[in-house]
Amino acid sequence: MDTELSEISTFICSIPPFDSLPKHLLAQLVRELTINYLRKGEQLPPKGMTEARLYILRKGAMSCLSAEGELVSRLGEGDLCDAFYHSNHNNSDEKRLNVHTDEDCLIYSVEASVLQELGERFPSISDYFSQNSAQRLKSKMTKVNEDAILSSTLMNTSVGNFYQSPVASIDVNKTIQQAAMQMNEQGYSCLVVIEQDSPVGIITDKDIRRRCVATGLATSASISNIMTQDMCTIDIKNNAYDALMIMTAKHIHHLPVTKYGNLVGMVTVTDLINNEGHNAINLSSVIHKANSVKELTEISMLLPKLQIRLAKLGSSSDHVGKSISAITMAFTKRLIEMAEFKYGPAPVPYAWLAAGSQARQEQLAHSDQDNALIICDTMKTGDDVWFEKLAHFVCDGLASCGFIYCPGEIMATNVKWRQPQKVWHSYFSKWVDTPSPQALLNSSVFFDLETIYGDVSLLREVKKELLKKTKKSTLFIAHLSKNALGLRPPLGFFRDFVLKQNGKHRATLDLKRNGIAPVVDLARIYALAEGISAVNTIERIQQAAGTPSLTKSSAENLIDAYAFLGILRVEHQAKQLMRGESADNFLSPKEISKLEREHLKDAFKVIKSLQDARQSNY
Amino acid sequence: MTSSTITHSPLLNWLMGYEAQRKRLLKTAPEGALRDFLSVPFPDIHTSIEKVDILSVDFETTGLDAKKDKLLSVGFIPFKRQQMSLSDCYHQIINTQAQLEESNVIIHHITDSQKDRGKALRIVVEALLTALAGKVMLVHFARIEKQFLTQACYELYGMAPVFPMIDTLVLAKRRLDKRDVSYDPSELRLTNLRHKLQLPEHNAHNALNDAIATAELFMAQMSKKNRDGKTTLKDVLL
Repeated sequence: MDTELSEISTFICSIPPFDSLPKHLLAQLVRELTINYLRKGEQLPPKGMTEARLYILRKGAMSCLSAEGELVSRLGEGDLCDAFYHSNHNNSDEKRLNVHTDEDCLIYSVEASVLQELGERFPSISDYFSQNSAQRLKSKMTKVNEDAILSSTLMNTSVGNFYQSPVASIDVNKTIQQAAMQMNEQGYSCLVVIEQDSPVGIITDKDIRRRCVATGLATSASISNIMTQDMCTIDIKNNAYDALMIMTAKHIHHLPVTKYGNLVGMVTVTDLINNEGHNAINLSSVIHKANSVKELTEISMLLPKLQIRLAKLGSSSDHVGKSISAITMAFTKRLIEMAEFKYGPAPVPYAWLAAGSQARQEQLAHSDQDNALIICDTMKTGDDVWFEKLAHFVCDGLASCGFIYCPGEIMATNVKWRQPQKVWHSYFSKWVDTPSPQALLNSSVFFDLETIYGDVSLLREVKKELLKKTKKSTLFIAHLSKNALGLRPPLGFFRDFVLKQNGKHRATLDLKRNGIAPVVDLARIYALAEGISAVNTIERIQQAAGTPSLTKSSAENLIDAYAFLGILRVEHQAKQLMRGESADNFLSPKEISKLEREHLKDAFKVIKSLQDARQSNY
Repeated sequence: MTSSTITHSPLLNWLMGYEAQRKRLLKTAPEGALRDFLSVPFPDIHTSIEKVDILSVDFETTGLDAKKDKLLSVGFIPFKRQQMSLSDCYHQIINTQAQLEESNVIIHHITDSQKDRGKALRIVVEALLTALAGKVMLVHFARIEKQFLTQACYELYGMAPVFPMIDTLVLAKRRLDKRDVSYDPSELRLTNLRHKLQLPEHNAHNALNDAIATAELFMAQMSKKNRDGKTTLKDVLL
């Protein structure tokens, strides 16, 4: 009967991956559960339970410690413990954990063999437990990317925006050979078959292969022998997403589009997937036409809206970061042009530089401004007056557009960061040769430097020298690594709190400081150690993949982790911006689902393992 | 067992009666499930509670009067120490002849049509007796299970067996009475006692769910009571 074991079933099916189990398999799983009551301070597994099992904490709290006694995770209600899921602990990377109860615990458990059996009929269950953190994260990101393709602008766009017209058609009386020839000539793989002006079927190159060549049918036979008669069509009023769904469901790549029942065009899978939003480009051109700081300020009000829109479209944080950074760049450029118009041309060549997140193209709406000026060595005393005026005009302009002044004074208005090329050379030499704490702090900002406007060769030359130096200077890299590794991701979650390395709890997760920044730091270290000039984090990781600093698979894992953190950040900020609040990086565990918490834990693990690898390198 | 302190204990005399009664009844019991049940000795009362085989049982009935009202369903689950397996659990609705009253259906959620698809009282009682052999019965509020099972056995076999019981309600009551502070009787409800011992929410009124909930409650009670590991069956028997 329905209410039998209902409370236990309800509990189990609230926990991923069991939330996806069909009802009859869930009922079967519940029947296989064992219930244990453990007192505070007891060890898992309970006495006599030697077989491999998955434990599910129903009530209470437990701690998992490494063999060295270091806290690895704390478990609360609804958390899974897979420390005893694998019977043989020969896996070198997963050492046996010590698990003990911190409170009296009611614990459900199921034998691993039962789950494996269940997994034969429902693979996602056994996959979930047999995969490690990196693999789970990879499956998640693959799905995210697929979903992003599906749910992007396609929902909001009519199929009419995608179809190709006119449609290549062929008379029903033509032969198969004639159809093949027409496909060759017109470069189509698909023709609509017409009989007295109305479509009666569809023929693709695949039909020729499968229904003619493979079956030995003469190519002189009529195409009516091999065409698909009951073809699917879609009315032009439908949205592009529906078209994609029909094609996915029917496993077809071409879909004729009709209007009032008449054939008007054809839409293909490729047409739909190639679709991309162009919002950022539109906004940039508006910025370019603005004639005053006031106008720019008005345009800047649109930035949070753009970020919300990008997030809603399911854009990755990489996409959002690049779009927002491109717009900040457009603002900066336009302000410089205005300044040059106001104060006259520059006395000597120079370049305006962006540092930090803008240089990495990872900026989100209304972050700090980090900038600097590099000036040609031919500058004379007195020339700086012009550059000072430029710096103030641009920085003030950016501030009025919502890019707040850098609290650390890393701006072109600061004379220290408004220097000729030779001084920049000496700065970098000093930072690399004698890495003091302050130098390391500077380097984390100034090693992510990009030219926004002006003579690109000035910075290029400095960077070239710099990378030559850092590649050789293991001492500098070691110091930089040590400094960067101070920022550790948390262990995970305990109940509705973030669990830190030291076992303490926090109400919120600082996505930037405890997740994104550590990856950015790692990527910078790889780049400097390997002489890679890219500044964007993903590009750095991609280029470092396969070098002594980073294996290819680690690179992929790190990108997955970074992308997942980015998605959470973009979604979190979009929610805040939509509520009219200012965006921050503090995510409350309550904001996210249980499954997202699991993925976050996996991302933390990936980051931590690469930090550890870095640490043991030196 | 020859020590004089033991023979002076009235509780023990009463309990000794259990085994004695079992042996006496065994002689007259008819061939079948009841006889089989009575032929298995009960656990020794000095056994550590951790080693006693227990069967947590719950009945749903049409009312509180065992003479007038009928057994509707039986749920049970065996357990030992702090552990039970749901694969061992049992739940069965009985196709009793009584017409169900609406006010009652609201509580147990068993409808007439479900009841008509149920099994005969004999089959269910025999399943229970088989599972109970050699074990101690655990219930919450013993009167119902004790009276209805006794009554059912009279109807089926013309005689009633003895069975040792543990009652989680009585265990909780003893604890509260010792405090010498007045308390609301509703505190003794299964749901409320579970809540107090930090067990998960429990709302279902289903014989099996209640049997499991009672077993969990007992485990939690023993976690508090049996800290030194010295609690024996004698200490918790009804």
